[in-house]
Amino acid sequence: MTNEATKNVKEIAIPVADPNDPYAVPAAMPSSVDHAARSFDVNDFPAPDRKQDEWRYTPIERISEFFDTFKPSGETQIEVSMIDGTPLAEGVQLSQVKLGEAPSGTVSKPNDRVSAVEWNSGATATVIELSGEINQPVLIKVHGAGEDLDAFHLVISAADKCHADVVVEHDGDARLAEGVEITTGKDSHISATFIQEWDKTAKHVGNHRIHVGEGASLRHSVVTLGGDVVRIRMDQDFGGPEGDLNMLGIYFVDPGEHIEHRTMVVHNHPECKSRVVYKGALDGKGAHSTWVGNALIQPTAPGTDSYELNRNLVLTPGAIADSEPNLEIENGNIVGAGHASSVGRFDDEELFYLQSRGIPETEARKLVVRGFFGELVEEIGIPAISEHLMDVIDRRLARGESDAMAQVLEDK
Amino acid sequence: MSTLEIKDLHVHVETKDGIKQILKGASLTVHSGETHAIMGPNGSGKSTLAYTLAGHPKYVVDSGEALLDGQDILKMTPDERAKAGLFLAMQYPVEVPGVSMTNFLRTAKTEIDGEAPGIRQWTKDLSAAMKRLKMDPKFATRSVNEGFSGGEKKRAEVLQLELLKPKFAILDETDSGLDVDALRIVSEGVNRAKEANQFGILMVTHYTRILKYIKPDIVHVFADGHFVKTGGPELADELEENGYDAYLPEGADSESALA
Repeated sequence: MTNEATKNVKEIAIPVADPNDPYAVPAAMPSSVDHAARSFDVNDFPAPDRKQDEWRYTPIERISEFFDTFKPSGETQIEVSMIDGTPLAEGVQLSQVKLGEAPSGTVSKPNDRVSAVEWNSGATATVIELSGEINQPVLIKVHGAGEDLDAFHLVISAADKCHADVVVEHDGDARLAEGVEITTGKDSHISATFIQEWDKTAKHVGNHRIHVGEGASLRHSVVTLGGDVVRIRMDQDFGGPEGDLNMLGIYFVDPGEHIEHRTMVVHNHPECKSRVVYKGALDGKGAHSTWVGNALIQPTAPGTDSYELNRNLVLTPGAIADSEPNLEIENGNIVGAGHASSVGRFDDEELFYLQSRGIPETEARKLVVRGFFGELVEEIGIPAISEHLMDVIDRRLARGESDAMAQVLEDK
Repeated sequence: MSTLEIKDLHVHVETKDGIKQILKGASLTVHSGETHAIMGPNGSGKSTLAYTLAGHPKYVVDSGEALLDGQDILKMTPDERAKAGLFLAMQYPVEVPGVSMTNFLRTAKTEIDGEAPGIRQWTKDLSAAMKRLKMDPKFATRSVNEGFSGGEKKRAEVLQLELLKPKFAILDETDSGLDVDALRIVSEGVNRAKEANQFGILMVTHYTRILKYIKPDIVHVFADGHFVKTGGPELADELEENGYDAYLPEGADSESALA
């Protein structure tokens, strides 16, 4: 070590734990979960590489078009209405701002290469401002219009004490880089549901930056049912004590698809609660899902109650599910910090039991998968969406069976 | 009047130590309205017989037939066997998370009958049957067998027996894990269902105590993969006295434990 380097080493005063109350002093270590850079500048992020932890599960060669700033095609169609198709109700304000003008760019900062690229490629943000009590969900339809690269930036901003639901639906074919900022006011109760029902060839990289207000509750649901590569990264923190975050995820991965969800929950204020529950079903050869759930409980967050869970159901052979919960707890005075993760296949005993009661195997599988997702779908809490989801899952299952059969025949 | 004829059934399972032959020529005929007790020492293959008849994929049939009114059920899938009129009350009913009892029972009933039961009549039948089995109505809304105690699971099996109305019911150690009160409730349920539907019963059991509640017409001793002795109810008393030692293969440990 040179003298120069030695001079730059800062001395750190490491607090000594009191043996009678060993958790009174926060850990002196820096966070390892949340060391990622936060920046609007693309050059602050190296080009993705599978040697980097946050890209290790991603087939980066399939989404390399999103690694450098591009000129967006502007072909993606955006429609905003109430969920029944009527014009926006009172309390819902729709506007466009230049990217970088408030409220865009106010909720954290991009946290990886693709989110910085999205920020620098796009020109405008679509802003939904919500206030008061809005009695039916706002629907934002995002229809991809083909293979040309496009960027879309959405800001959802809810005022104090607001009660509202927002649904964002994606469909069509697309090469879409998407940035979403969600900020909720004090004592608001908001749900935001994002559905990805892309065509088989679509590619979608998404970045959600979420700020939950003091005493507010946010139910953030992500449903990904299709796309060649979909990678959504979510970054969250709290704006004050007693925030309540409920993150739900459902995914159904077809052969050859890569579906990736990364949640990052940061407890930075006291007495906040977070739940992250992601469940997925994978069907067939090359179906690949990734869930990485990060939770960080900072020294400033006593009374934290957090839990994260990921379950994967492998329907047919040849699928791969990566499931990685990471917890970093820097405060000993918490209510709970739990995690659970599993990858499993159909339970033969369950199927036999149902069959022995006269239920044919295909029907039995449907019951089991519906059971697997059922509770979670209910929890999304928007009946039109729940029904639609169950229909889609049923259709997928019906198709999965014929695919599985085709594969059996091929193998012979 | 229906008949279940099991003819010279040979069955094996694959274990990590290789193939294990379990049933070695089991033959039995049961008619509607008859109650057969199948008794035998642990490991004799009684439960294998029960699961083979129901079509559990673990058990591989080498030879033999099981004819239900002339049709070989061994060639059918498990659900087809159930539709043909076979019901297996399991020793360890399986939990199916996320599938409510109500939904499960209604689906099963619809499949067995070939048409959906009328909703009003069905609701009435279900709640009446649950009441008779002293089951808490909230069980209907819970997931299939999930979080049920051993006794509750057995009651739920008998509930299905009452509702699905099979031609033949196989009861696999239905008495195991039940206290005296639960045993009585479950046995009464079986008797009631039999009274109503006149099905034949194959009651697989290790112990004689359930025979005090469900009276067998015929008692079989099952040992080493086949039936070795058949008699009337008095055979059960003899087993109670002397145990299974006489029926165990040469040199086998006596682990008979008659209650």
